[in-house]
Amino acid sequence: MFTHYLDLSWRSFKRTPVVSFLMVLAIAIGVGVTMTSLSVYHMMSMDPIPEKSNQLFHPQLQTVDEGVKLWTKDGMPRQMTYQDAVNLMNAPIPERKTASVKTGFSVHLDSSTVKPFSSAARLVNRQFFEIFNLEFINGATWSENDDLNASPVIVIDDYLNNKLFGGGNNVGKSINLDDGQYQIVGIIKTWDIHIKFYDLNNGAFQKPEHIYMPFSLVAARELDNWGNTNGWKFEPSNTFQDKLNSERFWVQFWAELPDEQAKQRYGEYLMAYMQEQQKLGRFNRDELVYKLNNVDDWMEFFSVVSKDNKVLVALSFMFLAVCLANILGLLLAKFLRRAPEVGVRRALGASKRQVFYQHLVEVSLLGFLGGTLGIVISQLGLWGVRATHSVYTNLATMDATMLFASPVIAIVSCIIAGLYPAWIVCRTTPAIYLKSQ
Amino acid sequence: MLEIKPIINAMLRSKVGAFLLLIQIAITTAIVSNAAFIISDRLTYLKQDTGYQEEALFTFNVMTFGRDVNIDQQIELDEAMLRQIPGVIDASLMQTVPLSGSGSASGFGEKPEPEKGKQVRASYMFGDEHALNTLGVKLSEGRNFSDDEIVVHGSDGKQTAPSVVIASKAFTDEMFPEGNGLGKTIFMEDKPVQIIGIVERMAGAWLRDSKPFNALIIPLVKTDTIQDFVVRTAPGQRAQVMAQIEDKMLALYDKRVVREIEGFDLLKSKYNAKDTLMLRMLVVLIVVLVLVTALGVFGLTLFNISKRTKQIGTRRALGARKSAIIRYFLVENTLISVSGLVIGSVAAYLLGQQLMTVFSLPALPLSFIAFTALSVLVMSLLSVLAPAKRAADISPSIATRSI
Repeated sequence: MFTHYLDLSWRSFKRTPVVSFLMVLAIAIGVGVTMTSLSVYHMMSMDPIPEKSNQLFHPQLQTVDEGVKLWTKDGMPRQMTYQDAVNLMNAPIPERKTASVKTGFSVHLDSSTVKPFSSAARLVNRQFFEIFNLEFINGATWSENDDLNASPVIVIDDYLNNKLFGGGNNVGKSINLDDGQYQIVGIIKTWDIHIKFYDLNNGAFQKPEHIYMPFSLVAARELDNWGNTNGWKFEPSNTFQDKLNSERFWVQFWAELPDEQAKQRYGEYLMAYMQEQQKLGRFNRDELVYKLNNVDDWMEFFSVVSKDNKVLVALSFMFLAVCLANILGLLLAKFLRRAPEVGVRRALGASKRQVFYQHLVEVSLLGFLGGTLGIVISQLGLWGVRATHSVYTNLATMDATMLFASPVIAIVSCIIAGLYPAWIVCRTTPAIYLKSQ
Repeated sequence: MLEIKPIINAMLRSKVGAFLLLIQIAITTAIVSNAAFIISDRLTYLKQDTGYQEEALFTFNVMTFGRDVNIDQQIELDEAMLRQIPGVIDASLMQTVPLSGSGSASGFGEKPEPEKGKQVRASYMFGDEHALNTLGVKLSEGRNFSDDEIVVHGSDGKQTAPSVVIASKAFTDEMFPEGNGLGKTIFMEDKPVQIIGIVERMAGAWLRDSKPFNALIIPLVKTDTIQDFVVRTAPGQRAQVMAQIEDKMLALYDKRVVREIEGFDLLKSKYNAKDTLMLRMLVVLIVVLVLVTALGVFGLTLFNISKRTKQIGTRRALGARKSAIIRYFLVENTLISVSGLVIGSVAAYLLGQQLMTVFSLPALPLSFIAFTALSVLVMSLLSVLAPAKRAADISPSIATRSI
């Protein structure tokens, strides 16, 4: 029966090509515009590490003095002080945790084949790769000793490996970063994420770093912070040691807490830690506060999906509604004109339900065609988004979910628009039309 | 005269068509007026005068890894070389490049820290006596730095604090609301500096800051392994100068990386990418929406006419003029549109309120609603015109024919 209805729909489409095409076009434009903004929204709000996003936590410690107002959304610092990050990294729990800071170097080889270039790097401990499920192609993370001794070892990604050596297993080779020599101990698969969720401080859509090295090198080599540093009180800052001792925020921290129990235990630990620090004379405030943000909370906190995106998605759905009202009108016109034909069919024994069903099939066909054309239009729209700025290169694309969603949205909205006209037409009383024939 | 009553009666016979049209017009009005307002808001923001000739300025970054030169001296050589390139007006080492979205800011107080007193936040940049001319900003009061006021924090590790500063007018106006900020002393943390010059208009590092034009130039040169240079060229010469920068810098000393050679206009557009995107998407949305609505009006009128062909023919046969037929459709459309516009205007206002509270956009001015409503009405009447003309051309003889 369905195929028969499909056949009827196609005939009907061919009989009134202009109106049908206008309807398909209206759906296509509606869906195209909606899918464009929805795709960008989807890419921005997509869980970057679904298998673990509720196990990875970025703690926030409220360490500013009583009465000091920070400019952040919740009045709590977004990063940590060096002291706290190091203390928490040396803490007994949880099993996996890492401090993290962005830095950068000029990269050069002793050979003249590769022109010196600059590259950002990330200072972390050896567990970082495990925490974020990074995959090693060659070698492995550095040893615990390297972490303790600030050894000049690095892990690079496949991208940099290709750029420097043209690919291959180059574990064991050394490269120069500024005036130091560092040995490659591992090569990871290039990290393919749209959102730099592990460090949102300098823009959510930046690319991950290509070089990773032990966090202990920060102090040992006095490495610059390429991220943000935020101070809130007057402190001397003449030497690098001053910076390490200061209450300024510039270090990120991630802990892996596999279950609710671990989270609770860690929360208690953080509170105890803050109380202990308070006894040592830091954190001059009545109420000590900490927060444990998982990946989603953290993205929310940084407003990764901006208000603009939300406004756009809302507006595009309203736009889709206008297109639907349009289609509803056209459908009504089209179906009513066919009333005599329906009258005959009814007289020949078709039930109301069958007529209704047939018209919904016809509407769905329109929706399907419109949705397919809508994909083309949204691709055009996404191309426009990408052309606006390179930031959007990875964001303004459609993944499988969105590709699948577009005909679904088109068909569903067409069925909604078609319900009323189909209902009207199936109520046609056969008698009237039989009389005049 | 305008046959309003019969028109309303006829409309009530087929409510759905009229209702759909009304809905479309209402939503269109609501969306277009809000979108147009957001667009105008962004346009004002994007088009604002930053105080700089963005097309004549560019910046680049140098990372030195070689340790066999004295960086303090090297920078002098670099600057001298840059200033000699044909087409270059001036060049200067600067820390914090304006409009770039990355830099430093701090509160500057009327009392030295840790005493409590009035504090005004400003974005600050470090530069020497060439900074003012390089940026191409104009002093409205006071003077430029003199050579001996420039403090160098160089490789010798000695650190002294600068004693003077040049401030933007926006900053001095906020710091000293009664005017006469020139010559006054403010405090950077615990160190006093005197304002010796006031620049009419000069944006800091962040245009999205709550006070984007609070900016200071501090006469400090920090010679470091990572440096930013700013260069101003003669109009139209920039591209050609930018193309030579890397080679010329490496020719002078090659153990370094020259990167991010970027025009100020590009820096700004990068920083504002999401505003530009929003703007473009909204423009597309408005255009398409208006087209779709026009199409809807057009289609619905055509449908109405085809349904009423016989009646129209009868009216014509009874002596109605063509203009009367056209008028009929125009009046009908106006009735529907106006009701749609009234509902739409209320919806626009409510939507604006919603956007204001949820997304902290500014309040939607009523003029935008009024203007949108008027345009939608005109558009709607225009889309009726063609089908109405066609209706008027229906021959009276159709009345006598049976269908």
